[in-house]
Amino acid sequence: MNYLKEVWGSRELLFNLTSREVRGKYKRTIFGQLWSLANPLALMLIYTLVFGIIFKSNPEPGSPSGLNVFALWLLCGLLPWTFFANVVNTASGSLVGNANLIQKVSFSRIVLPLSTVGSSAYNWAFEMAVLVIALSIAGGFVLPWLPLVLVAMALLAIFAAGVGLLFSIANVYFRDTQYLLSIVLQLWIYLSPIIYPTTLVIGKSKEIGGLLGTPITLADLYELNPMVHFVALFRQLMYDNRWPDPSEWVVCLAWAVVALFVGAVVFRRNERKLAEAL
Amino acid sequence: MSADVAVRVDKVTKTFRMYHERNQSLKSAIMRGRTSVHEDFLALNDVSFDVPSGSTFGLIGSNGSGKSTLLKCLANIYYPNSGSITHYGKIAAMLEVGSGFHAELSGRENIFLNGSILGMSKKDVTRKLDEIIDFSGVEQFIDQPVKNYSSGMYVRLGFAIAINVDPDILVVDEVLAVGDADFQEKCFNKFADFKKAGKTVILVSHSMDTVKSMCDQAAWLSRGTLQAVGEAQSTIAAYVDSLHRDAP
Repeated sequence: MNYLKEVWGSRELLFNLTSREVRGKYKRTIFGQLWSLANPLALMLIYTLVFGIIFKSNPEPGSPSGLNVFALWLLCGLLPWTFFANVVNTASGSLVGNANLIQKVSFSRIVLPLSTVGSSAYNWAFEMAVLVIALSIAGGFVLPWLPLVLVAMALLAIFAAGVGLLFSIANVYFRDTQYLLSIVLQLWIYLSPIIYPTTLVIGKSKEIGGLLGTPITLADLYELNPMVHFVALFRQLMYDNRWPDPSEWVVCLAWAVVALFVGAVVFRRNERKLAEAL
Repeated sequence: MSADVAVRVDKVTKTFRMYHERNQSLKSAIMRGRTSVHEDFLALNDVSFDVPSGSTFGLIGSNGSGKSTLLKCLANIYYPNSGSITHYGKIAAMLEVGSGFHAELSGRENIFLNGSILGMSKKDVTRKLDEIIDFSGVEQFIDQPVKNYSSGMYVRLGFAIAINVDPDILVVDEVLAVGDADFQEKCFNKFADFKKAGKTVILVSHSMDTVKSMCDQAAWLSRGTLQAVGEAQSTIAAYVDSLHRDAP
């Protein structure tokens, strides 16, 4: 409880560090904030070309929205994913990168990884706003679902914060973490229904049946991946324009709470040792 | 709590690990089945003293005597292995000035950023903005990115922010040696004001002249143990004596 009070007391610092990242990032660029759109757009083009056109991955049209545009369908999953990957990546380097500050000034260390969540969220919100406009132009009826999209975004941000806290500490003790992490994230994107629909996995799972004679199916294992559920939330809200399965909400909430709790506890345990360990 | 004590250092012991082998990669940690082989180095050994409130307190000793470690313990950056440090009042530490500046942001933006890192609220910073800018003497360049500052300007701005945090207890490492003579005089005056306002300053310095002219109390550390504490004059004399005695 005291810890919560301490973190709450540092909210101004958190805000300042976040705006330092946001404002410092695109300084001295001509296109400024537009650069934050460049990366997802490039990924969208590549994936649409490879998976939408060459491999003809054909997700079902959104129902009831009736949308049937692969690029938009892709972005509804890709933008949350890139946000998550960004947070985990930058948070994991946040303590090591600010080693000098940690060794010279006493302040609530948790604001360092948390500020990366803030600055990534800022870019993400910008991307999502553009996506909402694009969906609306394509004929989707997203606007009434916006409050729920915001709730889903908050849940994913909490989940990402928890995972980021864990990796930030791990990276202090083992600098391999950052290199391992980039591989893990590459694997993870393909283990999540970002560029292919979940239905493909479920279809395959039914074909195979129980694995190794157990009643556990491929789909059961697949569902252990929290990103499957987060992506489902975003797709159903934004692309399909329908109320997601309540169980998806519960699973996402549970993952978010557990991740943040474990992340915060591990962080708190190690916080005092940081100045020496770095 | 006694009213006339600002900081109570009670039986503080701090050890560091000296690594003979440190496996900061997963591979080596797994291969060797351990993360490190180390022995403990005693940086501070059972140090106890009180810093009287309203005093200017000097920490003296040779290199490697544990002054900086003690300072970092006072500043809540390191935590002692045993013993405790109790502060009676708000404490601020100036171990390095200008840490946390963002090179691409302007001096003004950095004042707000650095102020909040040092624990000031936005309201405090806004209230003191003019004073900080005035003290730093970089008015003309305050809206320029700090990466274009000369190193002197950089340090002066950092110092101006730190000195305006307005704590009850100020912990200072040897940062007084910044800026030109003019700026140094400004700093000394600021410390004098501090003292007049009844605040406590704890400083580490190698310059005996500085300690003599500023401090009324001092503690002498040698190899992690406290040798003497008390009136500045006599403590300094004892320290200087020991240096001459050791010399052949």
